[in-house]
Amino acid sequence: MSKITLGNESLVGSLTPSNKKSYKLTNKIQEGKTPLYSVAFNFIDARYFTCFVSAGGNGINLYNCLEDGSISLLYAFADEDKEEEFNTASWACGVEGNPFVVAGGEKGIIRVIDVNNEKIHKSLVGHGDLVNEIRTQPLKPQLVLSASKDESVRLWNVETGICILIFAGSGGHRNEVISVDFHPSDKHRFVSCGMDTTIKIWSMKEFWTYVEKSFTWKDDPSKFPTKFVELPVFTASVHTDFVDCNRWVGDFILSKSDEILLWEPILKENSPGEGTSDVLLRYPIPNCNLWFIKFSCDLSLNYLSIGNEEGKIYVWDLKSCPPVLVTVLSHNQSKSVIRQTAMSTDGNTILAASEDGTIWRWDAINKEQAVTVEAQPPPILHQYRRREGKSQLK
Amino acid sequence: MASGASPSSSATRSDPHKHSTTSQAEKRAPASKEVAAVIDSLKKKLAADRCISIKKRIDENKKNVRGITQSTMRSCMERGGGCYKDGSDLLVKRQRDSPGMKSGVNASDADKSNNHSSFLEDGNASSTTMVQGSSVPVKISLRPIKMPDVKRLSPYTTWVFLDRNQRMTEDQSVVGRRRIYYDQTGGEALICSDSEEEAIDEEDEKRAFLEPEDFIIRMTLDQLGLSDSVLEELANFLSRSSSEIKVSATFPCLFLARYEVLMKEKEVSESGDNQAESSLLNKDMDGALDSFDNLFCRRCLVFDCRLHGCSQDLIFPAEKPAPWTPPVDENLTCGANCYKTLLKSNRIPANGTTEDKTGTSSDGAGTKTTSKFSGKLNRKKTKTFPSESASSNEKCTPETSDSENGVQQDTNPEKVSSLSKVKASGRRGGRKRNNNRVAERVSRRTQKRQKKSEASDTDSIATGSRSASDAKHKDNEDATSSSQKHVKSGSSKNSRKNDTPVDDSKNSVKGDDPVSQLNAVASEPCSDGSLRKEEFVGENVCPGGLSEDKSWRPLEKSLFQKGVEIFGMNSCMIARNLLCGLKSCWEVFQYMTCSENKASFFGGDALNPDGSSKFDINGNMTNNQVRRRSRFLRRRGKVRRLKYTWKSAAYHSIRKRSTDKKDQPCRQFNPCNCKTACGKECTCLLNGTCCEKYCGCPKSCKNRFRGCHCAKSQCRSRQCPCFAADRECDPDVCRNCWVIGGDGTLGVPSQRGDNYECRNMKLLLKQQQRFVLDAYRKGDKLKFANHSPEPNCYAKVIMVAGDHRVGIFAKERILAGEELFYDYRYEPDRAPAWARKPEASGSKKDENVTPSVGRPKKVA
Repeated sequence: MSKITLGNESLVGSLTPSNKKSYKLTNKIQEGKTPLYSVAFNFIDARYFTCFVSAGGNGINLYNCLEDGSISLLYAFADEDKEEEFNTASWACGVEGNPFVVAGGEKGIIRVIDVNNEKIHKSLVGHGDLVNEIRTQPLKPQLVLSASKDESVRLWNVETGICILIFAGSGGHRNEVISVDFHPSDKHRFVSCGMDTTIKIWSMKEFWTYVEKSFTWKDDPSKFPTKFVELPVFTASVHTDFVDCNRWVGDFILSKSDEILLWEPILKENSPGEGTSDVLLRYPIPNCNLWFIKFSCDLSLNYLSIGNEEGKIYVWDLKSCPPVLVTVLSHNQSKSVIRQTAMSTDGNTILAASEDGTIWRWDAINKEQAVTVEAQPPPILHQYRRREGKSQLK
Repeated sequence: MASGASPSSSATRSDPHKHSTTSQAEKRAPASKEVAAVIDSLKKKLAADRCISIKKRIDENKKNVRGITQSTMRSCMERGGGCYKDGSDLLVKRQRDSPGMKSGVNASDADKSNNHSSFLEDGNASSTTMVQGSSVPVKISLRPIKMPDVKRLSPYTTWVFLDRNQRMTEDQSVVGRRRIYYDQTGGEALICSDSEEEAIDEEDEKRAFLEPEDFIIRMTLDQLGLSDSVLEELANFLSRSSSEIKVSATFPCLFLARYEVLMKEKEVSESGDNQAESSLLNKDMDGALDSFDNLFCRRCLVFDCRLHGCSQDLIFPAEKPAPWTPPVDENLTCGANCYKTLLKSNRIPANGTTEDKTGTSSDGAGTKTTSKFSGKLNRKKTKTFPSESASSNEKCTPETSDSENGVQQDTNPEKVSSLSKVKASGRRGGRKRNNNRVAERVSRRTQKRQKKSEASDTDSIATGSRSASDAKHKDNEDATSSSQKHVKSGSSKNSRKNDTPVDDSKNSVKGDDPVSQLNAVASEPCSDGSLRKEEFVGENVCPGGLSEDKSWRPLEKSLFQKGVEIFGMNSCMIARNLLCGLKSCWEVFQYMTCSENKASFFGGDALNPDGSSKFDINGNMTNNQVRRRSRFLRRRGKVRRLKYTWKSAAYHSIRKRSTDKKDQPCRQFNPCNCKTACGKECTCLLNGTCCEKYCGCPKSCKNRFRGCHCAKSQCRSRQCPCFAADRECDPDVCRNCWVIGGDGTLGVPSQRGDNYECRNMKLLLKQQQRFVLDAYRKGDKLKFANHSPEPNCYAKVIMVAGDHRVGIFAKERILAGEELFYDYRYEPDRAPAWARKPEASGSKKDENVTPSVGRPKKVA
C-alpha cells in the first residue's frame, strides 16, 4: 500500500528547519519519577485554555500555564490503586459546562473527574484491557471515545456514564487500538488506528438515536442498550507498521507511524466500506520508532508538534505545502522519550510530557529575539531499530 | 518557496529513474535517448501536475479547516461565557489563586542552564508538590485527591457475537497485514501470506495500468510513433518505476496492446457507451454457478464456510429427488401475470356441460398455447416427414405417444369445436373448479381412450401416471396442468378452425404477445384449412417462439432450466423463485410451452410434459450437467485449492495429522462421489469413515451409517447406535428419535441445543489426550466456561453432520443461573496453579483470587 505509484507521489517535507517561529524553554516541572504518557490542554472551554492535564503513573494532575512562563498546580488526583497507570487524559465537560477530566489507563477503567467538585464523577467500566487514548467530541463535549487494547473503541457519555456504542467486530481492529479522533465538523464520524496498521473511519449516523437517548437515560447505565458497530465506513492501510496517532485536519487525516502522513480518504459514495486513500504529504520524524509517541496540534491546526526518542520536539507547519519544518526544540537535559506533546490553542506554548516524569514548557518568542533555541541539524536516520513497547522502557 | 521545493522533491524521486533510463538508453541506441527525454519530460509534467493538484487540495482543505476551527473556537468561548455568571467556578478560582511554579530555567539562557532546581520532591506519583521560585523554593503541598479503587475486569478482548464466530473464523485477515513466522530451525523470519493469492494480485497490479502510466504511454507513442525501441524504452522505464526488476520480453507487447486499448477506449468514449447495464444478465449461469460451487458449502449451507473451506469437491447425489411441488393450492395465482389468470381471462366462460367447458377452455387457451400445439404439430410433422425427425431419437416414444394423444383427441372434441362458437359469447366459471374438472376430464378421457385403443405401452404409461398424479396430489395439477393443456390442445386446434375471428379478437386484446399475434395473422388467411392449416400455424409459431427466445438472455434461460429441474413445469414457482423481476409467470409459461417443441433446447430431448417421464429426462439432463461442471471445476479447482491452503491450514493440518495416525477415532469425513453403491474404491471407505448424507452414493450404500431406531429421547445409552458411535442423531438418517417439534422437555431436542451452542468451538480434542483445544481466539460463549475439578458438565466429541464437534453436556441437574464448569483436563505437570486438583496444590480456592497468567493449553 505504501508503494508509491507513478503520479501518486506525495510531497515530502525537508528536515531543514525554516525557523519561521521559534520557541524557548521557559519551565520544567519534575512531577514524579514515573513516566508521563499524556499531557493535554483544554480545548473545550475558553476559560481554561491555559489549563492542562497530565497523566502518568496513578496520578492525574491539573496545571495552569501562567503568562510569565510559570506553571501552577491546580489539582492533583491519585488513584488508590498503585497498580493503575494512566495512559491518557482528556478534557470534557458536563451538560452545564462544568469541566471534566477523563482519564484511562492500565486497568481499563475510565475515570471521569468532576474538577469543580474535586471528586470522581463516574468510573466507566467496560473495557477488557488497558485504554490507550481518550478523545472528546468537540461539538458535544459530553461524548468521549476510548481506544483500548481489547481491540475495541467505545463511545461513552461521561455525563450519564453510559457506554453508548462499541466499535468492534467483524470489520473492527484486529489488534489494540491506539488512537482515535472525532471528526471536527461531522459529529457522526471518527477515525481510529492501531497496531494492526490500519486506520478506520467509522460512522455512528445510524446509531445517533442511541447517543441522544444516552442523555436522557434515567435508569442504571448498565441497562442501556449498548450497540455494537461492526463495520467501519472505510479501512485504509497507508502505513506498513503500527499507527499510533491520528488526527483529522478538515477532511484529511494526519496519521503517525514511523513518519507522519497527511492523506485524504476518498470514499465511494454509494458503496460503503470501499474507497481509496491518497497520501498527499509526508512529515518525516527522525528517531521516532517507538510506539506510543503522539503528536498534537494547536486549535486552529497551524502547527504540529511531536517529540521523539531523544527528547527533541519537531514542530511542523501544517499550512504549508510541501511541508515545512518550523523548528526543532532540543535541550541538553531532555534526553528521554517524549511521549506526548501538547500545543496551546494559539500554538504559542508547547508542552512535552517526558518519560522521565518531567513536563517541559516551551514558549514562542518574537522574531526579534532571534533563535535562542539551538536548531540542531537533523540527525541522520538511524538504522531501523526494533521498537520496544513502552513498558519495556520504563 | 513552496513551489521551489516541490519540483525538487519530485526530482529526488524521479532522479534514480532518470539516470537509469538514460544510462541504459545510451547503451542501446541513439533513438532511445530521445525516447528517454520524452518520457522524462512527461514524467516531470506528471509530477508537476500532481504537485499542483496536491496544493490545490490542501488549499481547499485549509479553507475548510479555518471554518471548522473558527466555529470550534466560538463554541469554546460560548461555553466559557455561559458559566461566568456564577463566580463560584472552582477551577477558575484555583486558576487565579494558585501560585505559579517557576523553574530555574532561565529564559535567556535556556540551553546553558543545566540545573533545574524545581522538582516535585515526592517520587511516588506526586503526593506532594514542591515548587521553587527562580531562587527561593516555595513549597506548596497539594494533597492529591484520592480516587477510590475500582476493580478491574479480567483482560479479554471484546467479544462480539458474530455469525462469523459461529464457524471457525479465519484468523485475523486484514488488508495489508502481514504475518511473520519464525522458522524454528533456521531462525529466519518468514513473511507468510497467501502466496498464491498475492502472486496473482501482483500480476494483476502489474497489468492494471494506472492513469499516469496510460498517459505516458499514450503521449510517448503519439509523439514518437510506434517502434520497437520506443516500446522497449517505455517498458524499461515503466517497469523500473513500478519497482519491478526484470524487463520481461512481453512487456513491449503489453504496452502496444495497452496503447491499442487506449485508442479504442478513446473512440468508445467518443461514441458513448450504454451497454453497461445488461452486462450482468448476459453472463452465463455457469460462470455464476462456478463461484457458487466454489464458495458455497453444501454441508453448512453457508457461503465461504470456514470449516470446510472453499472449492470443495462437488458431490452430486446419485439419486435425484423428484421435482419439488409446493403445498399451495393449485388455483392460487402467483400474481397479476400468473399464467392461470391470463389463461382464464382469455377463456370464455361456459355455461354448457363440463365437456363444453373443456372445449371452451381449450379453445381459449388455443391462442396462448399455440406454441404448445405447434410442438405437437412439429412432432406430428416429424412423424409424417421422417426426414425432419433427426432431432429426437431416444425420446421419440413419449413424443409420438403424445402426438397420438393429440390425434386421438382430435376425434373427441369435434363436437366441442362445434359448440365452441356458441360458448364464445362469454362465460365465466370458477377457475378452480374449471381446472379441476379439466384435469378430471382429461384423465377420464385418457382412460377411456386407453380402454378403446391400447395405443402403445408408452402411451398407457403416460396416461397412467397422469391419472395417478391427478388422483394423488391435487397440488401436482399445477405442474401437470400444462400437460393437460397439451392434451387439450389438439381439440383446440380443431376448434380454431371454426372460430378464428374470436381468436383474432382475443389476440388483439393481448397485443403484447408476439407469438399470438403471429398466429393470428397466420390463421386468418387459411381459416378453412384443416390439417394443412395446422401445419402452417405450427410453422408460423416456431419462428414466433424463436423470436421470443431471443428476448431470453442466456442467464435467464439457464435459470429457467434449473427451475424446471427443481420445480417441474411450474411456471409460477419458477418465475417467483428464480426469475423474480426478470420474467413474469406468464412469460415463463409461454417459454416453457414453446420451448418444448424445440428439441435442441433440452439437448436433444423434448420435454415430455408428463410427470414421470419428465423425471427421467431431468435425471438425464442433470447428469449431463454434473459431468460438465465437475470437469470445468477440476480445471479451475486446482489453483483455487492451493490458494486456500494456509488459511484453513490451522485446522486441516491438524486434521491431517490426526488422520495420519491409524486407529484414530477422529477422522475427517470427506464426502465421496460414488455414483453407484460404494465399492472398494470409495474414498470414504478408504478413509475409514462412514458415508454420510453428503455423499453422492445412493441411500442404499452399505457404508452408510444407518442411524438409530430409538424411540424419542431414548438415545442416551450405548444401545442407541448413534450414541455408541458418538454421533449426534440426524433427522435425515434416524427414524424415530426426531419426532417432529421437540417440546423442549428433555431428551434429544435439548441435547441438540447444547451441541449447537458449542459447535463453534474449534475442535481438536479426543480421548487419547492427544488433541488440544485452544479457544483463545475462536469459540463461542462456552469458551468462557471455567474449569473446575468437580465440574457439572463434561465435554464430549461427537460427530455432527459429518464434522467432529465438542459438545458440553450436563453431568447433573443444573439449575437456571448456575455457573457451568467443566474439566479442562490439564496434564498434571502442565496445569496452572488454579487448575491443579485441590490435593495437588496446597492452597485451594486460589483460582478465584489470581487471574490466570498467560494461557496454558487446555487438554481434553
